[in-house]
Amino acid sequence: MNHHDSWFLNRTIASELCVGNQMILHIVENLERIGWPEQELFGVHMALEEAIMNAIKHGNRECPDKMVQIVVEATPTSFLLRVTDEGTGFDPARVPDCTADENLELCCGRGLALMRHYMDEVRYNEAGNSVEIHKSRRPTT
Amino acid sequence: MSDYQCINLSSNHDVAVVRLVDDRVMDAGRIAMLGEELLSLASTHSGGKVLINLENVRFLSSSALNKLIVLEKRLSGNGGYLKLANLRHEVAEVFHITQLDTVFDIRSTEKQAFKAFDDEDEAPVRPGS
Repeated sequence: MNHHDSWFLNRTIASELCVGNQMILHIVENLERIGWPEQELFGVHMALEEAIMNAIKHGNRECPDKMVQIVVEATPTSFLLRVTDEGTGFDPARVPDCTADENLELCCGRGLALMRHYMDEVRYNEAGNSVEIHKSRRPTT
Repeated sequence: MSDYQCINLSSNHDVAVVRLVDDRVMDAGRIAMLGEELLSLASTHSGGKVLINLENVRFLSSSALNKLIVLEKRLSGNGGYLKLANLRHEVAEVFHITQLDTVFDIRSTEKQAFKAFDDEDEAPVRPGS
């Protein structure tokens, strides 16, 4: 692996959904560039969509005065994303289990379930305003 | 029908057949518009049969899933039926992970969905009635 195979990003973006969308596509494009195959990118795309959009919508409530910090450390075999908002945070343990029968038709909790499914690790800070997600993959032979 | 920007609408006998325009259903503005258009569809087809063909959808966020749930609730609440068909493997997996495959009636093909609509017509008692 040489330095062209890894990608690092540390960017602060405005709490606007369209800006979030652009950032998501930028990250996906760069993962593709360093060798992440399409079939694995789907899950990564899903997880980072939920992480970034949650920060903008629920964390910062799209407040123009609040920013979202996005850090990515990626190699062909590892993806780490840290998203930090300026909101008051939340307790992930209190998010309803979207797969429980009584919650199936609720419009919340699904993003968290998807992140946990597609990522090897989903970790929140104590305040609940920063999430770090990580996934490893086997190198293509 | 031509007023819709996020869906293409056609009909097959008494079934409204919907295809999503975007292959990546992730833009917040487009998802909001999609939600409005699906609710409009639920109004014009209240109590009717709607089939959404997701064949061209390569990605959809949980916000987009929420719009489909709202449509399903609205249709079924008024005695209508919603079915989904032609999901790509990755998209079908999203429904499975979130167990929404137990909420939606998902069929492999449009043909199977039409047959299921026909079978329900012939059933003496509507499910859930």
